[in-house]
Amino acid sequence: MNYSTATVFLRPLTTICIVSCVGFTVMSTSLLAADVAVLESMPSPADINSSLSRVITDSKGQVYLSWVTREDELATLSYSKFEGGRWTDPAIISSGENWFNNWADFPSLMVNDDNMAAHWLSMSAEGTYDYDIKVAFYNASNNSWGEGITIHKDGVSAEHGFVAMLPMSEGRTFISWLDGRETAGSGDHITPPRAEPAMPGAMTLRAGIFDRTGGTVSEWELDHRVCDCCQTSAAISATGPLVVYRDRSDQEIRDIYITRYVKGAWTEPMPIHNDGWEIAGCPVNGPAIAARGEQVAVSWFTAKDDAPLVQLVVSTDNGKSFSAPVLVASQTTNGRVGTTILESGDIAVSWMDMEGPEAKIMLTRFSAEGNLLETTQIANSKASRRSGFPIIDSVGNDVYVTWTDISGAAQVKVASVIYGRNPGE
Amino acid sequence: MKIVHSMIVAAGLVGLALAMIQLQDSRAASQSPQAEAKWLIVNYWSEWCAPCRLEIPVLNALNETLSSTNVTIVGVNFDEDPQGITLSIAADMGIEFPTLAMDVVAEFKLRAPDVLPTTYILSPAREVVAKMIGAQTEESLLAQLASLNLPVEKD
Repeated sequence: MNYSTATVFLRPLTTICIVSCVGFTVMSTSLLAADVAVLESMPSPADINSSLSRVITDSKGQVYLSWVTREDELATLSYSKFEGGRWTDPAIISSGENWFNNWADFPSLMVNDDNMAAHWLSMSAEGTYDYDIKVAFYNASNNSWGEGITIHKDGVSAEHGFVAMLPMSEGRTFISWLDGRETAGSGDHITPPRAEPAMPGAMTLRAGIFDRTGGTVSEWELDHRVCDCCQTSAAISATGPLVVYRDRSDQEIRDIYITRYVKGAWTEPMPIHNDGWEIAGCPVNGPAIAARGEQVAVSWFTAKDDAPLVQLVVSTDNGKSFSAPVLVASQTTNGRVGTTILESGDIAVSWMDMEGPEAKIMLTRFSAEGNLLETTQIANSKASRRSGFPIIDSVGNDVYVTWTDISGAAQVKVASVIYGRNPGE
Repeated sequence: MKIVHSMIVAAGLVGLALAMIQLQDSRAASQSPQAEAKWLIVNYWSEWCAPCRLEIPVLNALNETLSSTNVTIVGVNFDEDPQGITLSIAADMGIEFPTLAMDVVAEFKLRAPDVLPTTYILSPAREVVAKMIGAQTEESLLAQLASLNLPVEKD
């Protein structure tokens, strides 16, 4: 690769943790040839006043970056592709003055061979909290983006967001989202902390499959009562799509659940682990799932008894069952996790560590079995919500990370962590 | 927007002073010399947080109940929007208690909540004496104040 190496950390396999990792000192064998993790900063295609970035990789191993720039009320969603050691000129997907821009619930890009889809949130009504999910589909034949389509057909002014998108065969797109259609109806779309008959319903989890022009192929309600403010995450295993999310029981237990699309039907949602986190509130900290064949990994944040934890579970049966949780970080973490599975089978989990107003973006690698290999600090950051959620994805055994640097004017940053080989090899 | 907001803009770690600012709108401000040492109920909210919105009327009512005591309710916009936007959102949400400026929040050295809403109770020395996670009721808040033996009676 031709991009400049700004920072390089060589970390032997015996390195355990930089910060906040507790326990799990058993070293595990990785299939990677060399015991090094090389952190490289990459140039950013995003200018200042950029934020809300995501890094995405496609089946060909190409890397894309999407981000939002804001100028007064105008928000613009752009993307760039990493090609020949440099980012292509930014291309605009869409822009608007009525977008709902939020540090935790923000646009995404999905690449499916020559097709692409991108989503953003658009205010739908006078109500402050009413917004729709708009998805635009890229037409490779004429090299243009279509207009944003509202993918949910409820027609209800309510909250819709926290989208996850996946490529499927035949150019189709799988999308999961939180849908507030049942919450509308009392003037303010609220769900009581403890259900009362006279109050509106709860936030729901929905998903659908859409064709390359946005036509609805299938749509389902996956869970009738979920946490209002946490991201959904989706991946495709050998048996089909998987969706993880933060559930919300009648007793206000908000643990992470999974549902799987197997042989044309969705399985009954089940917890990936019984944290027993009871809260009548919004953690704003969704799980992150990754899959490679039958291997599945999920990381998540929990804070039962006000004790913050980031944990990881692994599955070797397409998410049907999971290992006991592996501790990734504790005490000073504020979550904001990401998960990706490397070609080697190793698992990388990104998370954030706080110290007062300061924060660090961390990346921890585990073996396929969930044994700790090493932790690398990606960048300094801020605990502020404006620093957003770091996003990771991988190609081969290289992990790409993007985040927003708010030490000055907000600007999207990108870096890679190369495991098991030297840069340029 | 002509809704009058109150914003606490200064609280020394040792000085314990709170300077009240009366905002005539979201952009103009004039400072009052009034300064008091009070117990603080610090409520973190966000516009997109449904339980927060549910809790606001409870806090508004309690704010009135506590108006002549030495306990004050203040709010913090979890999203750290710029001041003008924060006050506009607070007005839209019907928040009737003061909203803290972020530099004041920083002086409290509170851990940013892992859950919204989260409500801290701070002593006049700005020590955290209670942390309540999730939407509260007036009863739960008053019970918490009582359990701390706080002087919620009139000064």
